[in-house]
Amino acid sequence: MAMSWSGTFEKIAEYKFKIPRHYKPGMRVDGIIYADERLLASIKKDNAPEQVANVAFLPGIVKYSLAMPDIHWGYGFSIGGVCATDPASEGVISPGGVGYDINCGVRMLSTSLTLEDIKDRISKIVDALYQNIPSGVGSKGQIRVSYQEEKRVLLEGARWAVSRGFGIKDDLESCEEYGAIEDADPDSVSERAYERGKPQCGTLGSGNHFLEVQVVEDIFDRSIAEKLGLSIGQITVMIHSGSRGFGYQVCDDSLKMMGKCISKYAINVPDRQLACAPINSPEAKAYIGAMRAAANYAWANRQILMHLTRQSFEKVFSKSWQSFGMNLIYDVAHNIAKFEKHMIDGREKTLCIHRKGATRAFGPGNPALPSKYRDIGQPVIIPGDMGTASYLLVGTNQAEEESFASTCHGAGRLKSRHEALRTISFESLIKELKSKGIEVRATGKKTIVEEAPSAYKDVNEVVEVVHQAGLSKKVCRMRPLCVVKG
Amino acid sequence: MMEDFEFFEHTADVGVRVTGKTLNELFANSSKALFKLLVDSPLKQNKKREIQLEAQTLEELLVNWLNELLSIFFAEKFLPLEYNIRIEDNPQSKNIRGVILGEEFNPYENKINMEIKAATYHNLRVEHNRDGYTAEVIFDV
Repeated sequence: MAMSWSGTFEKIAEYKFKIPRHYKPGMRVDGIIYADERLLASIKKDNAPEQVANVAFLPGIVKYSLAMPDIHWGYGFSIGGVCATDPASEGVISPGGVGYDINCGVRMLSTSLTLEDIKDRISKIVDALYQNIPSGVGSKGQIRVSYQEEKRVLLEGARWAVSRGFGIKDDLESCEEYGAIEDADPDSVSERAYERGKPQCGTLGSGNHFLEVQVVEDIFDRSIAEKLGLSIGQITVMIHSGSRGFGYQVCDDSLKMMGKCISKYAINVPDRQLACAPINSPEAKAYIGAMRAAANYAWANRQILMHLTRQSFEKVFSKSWQSFGMNLIYDVAHNIAKFEKHMIDGREKTLCIHRKGATRAFGPGNPALPSKYRDIGQPVIIPGDMGTASYLLVGTNQAEEESFASTCHGAGRLKSRHEALRTISFESLIKELKSKGIEVRATGKKTIVEEAPSAYKDVNEVVEVVHQAGLSKKVCRMRPLCVVKG
Repeated sequence: MMEDFEFFEHTADVGVRVTGKTLNELFANSSKALFKLLVDSPLKQNKKREIQLEAQTLEELLVNWLNELLSIFFAEKFLPLEYNIRIEDNPQSKNIRGVILGEEFNPYENKINMEIKAATYHNLRVEHNRDGYTAEVIFDV
């Protein structure tokens, strides 16, 4: 286990703990972690708070280095970290603040099916999904793309997928950035990334990526749930995946390039993994263009995965997916850097918001939201572990004011993968899941054990913190029925 | 060549501690550890590949080396097995040059054990001691 953190926090509000700027010379701002006392105790068990302090070194950082309650130790940035930098004050962009899996994210679909409709067919559904959706390490997609077509994927994201018949135009309205971020630059992407991207478009991947069929088991905000067409007993689907080997290669290429920027631009950071470059530098421009290309790759990927999910349901029910209303509620990115307008001390500024394991949470009225969500706020999708629950939340105006419109992204890891393998047995885990009525299909036993519920923090607790702290608002909780893992 | 490495735990990732009597051994053993995580018992050596990398520090060279091989594995479908490499540890620059023997291995058709995104710079260490060299690398998985 990683060494524990020996620093001390200052409690500045309910659910808010500060690492003061004087904790470490070189910090430009305070660090702030959103948590309750119980979560804080587990957060201190590894060195993640030190990483929150390290991020505070970044030139041009605005207000504070933030971490959400699902924070755990990553590399460079902690997972669950949020940081805003100001391009007008020599602010930097750091590939470590996005991570290797660029635009790892989640999408959630509603259906008009109820638990009653599917309870005898859950095995059939999970088998169909497992057969139809390429998953596992190094899995290969059914869709072959040429070099020219891959370029289109990088520019057009989910829009490309829809143009190829994987879904419908309406899906795009329910995606962050409408399924494709502007100004991606396919020419800033290495040949190797193209090569690694080619076989993997439309694949789930492994590790914590999954596809789940869920049932709504609790509703916290009736009127918003109603607006989203959700009620208790209703079946939903959640898909968690990212930009696959393409994104890893883009991140690695960029870190190599930016490693040189630390000395070139005389930047002082305590960890090499925090390599960064001034936002207006040519190196940053190249990274931003390539990172956006990878983000679009991920949106295309999740769009294809959703299409394959719809097909699988069609097969099981011998009906079109439209007939059981399999509509996309929303798609969020939780590993990304974006330029957004935020109010800082009464003035609007365009800042670079790094979200590394954190979700955008725009509140009601935000002009970036599609009109159908403008009165309720942005849907925020929080996947939990496969034995507990997942949540649908909405963003708030308070999040816009205090956390650069950011909230948590999941349960957050508690045990290392090794520790999970050592302490949890495959047989007892499957038995436990079965007793809860959850069926699992995966390419490897190991992945299932590594992703066991007890390897994660309690998602209920994490979500309660962001809800109580006002960073987002609980709408409903979904319980897993069946899971496809890599 | 001595094969010497052990894996250690890190919340979301996997770390490896590697030793080698010489730098050449250290780098070869690091790569062996990486591919031990990915692939069970490789078979034949039927391909050759030249490699040449340069960096400012040994740490950086080690991460570049591992990520280069990982990237070659996924992009060129080349699984490295034996290393005929030479590391030059000059004050101004560090470089690695040599030939790798390996086999053609398609990671999209054959089973691989886990997804490794990259070797990271996080808590990266390369140390020279009485018995040779030790390195610690954390892989993002």
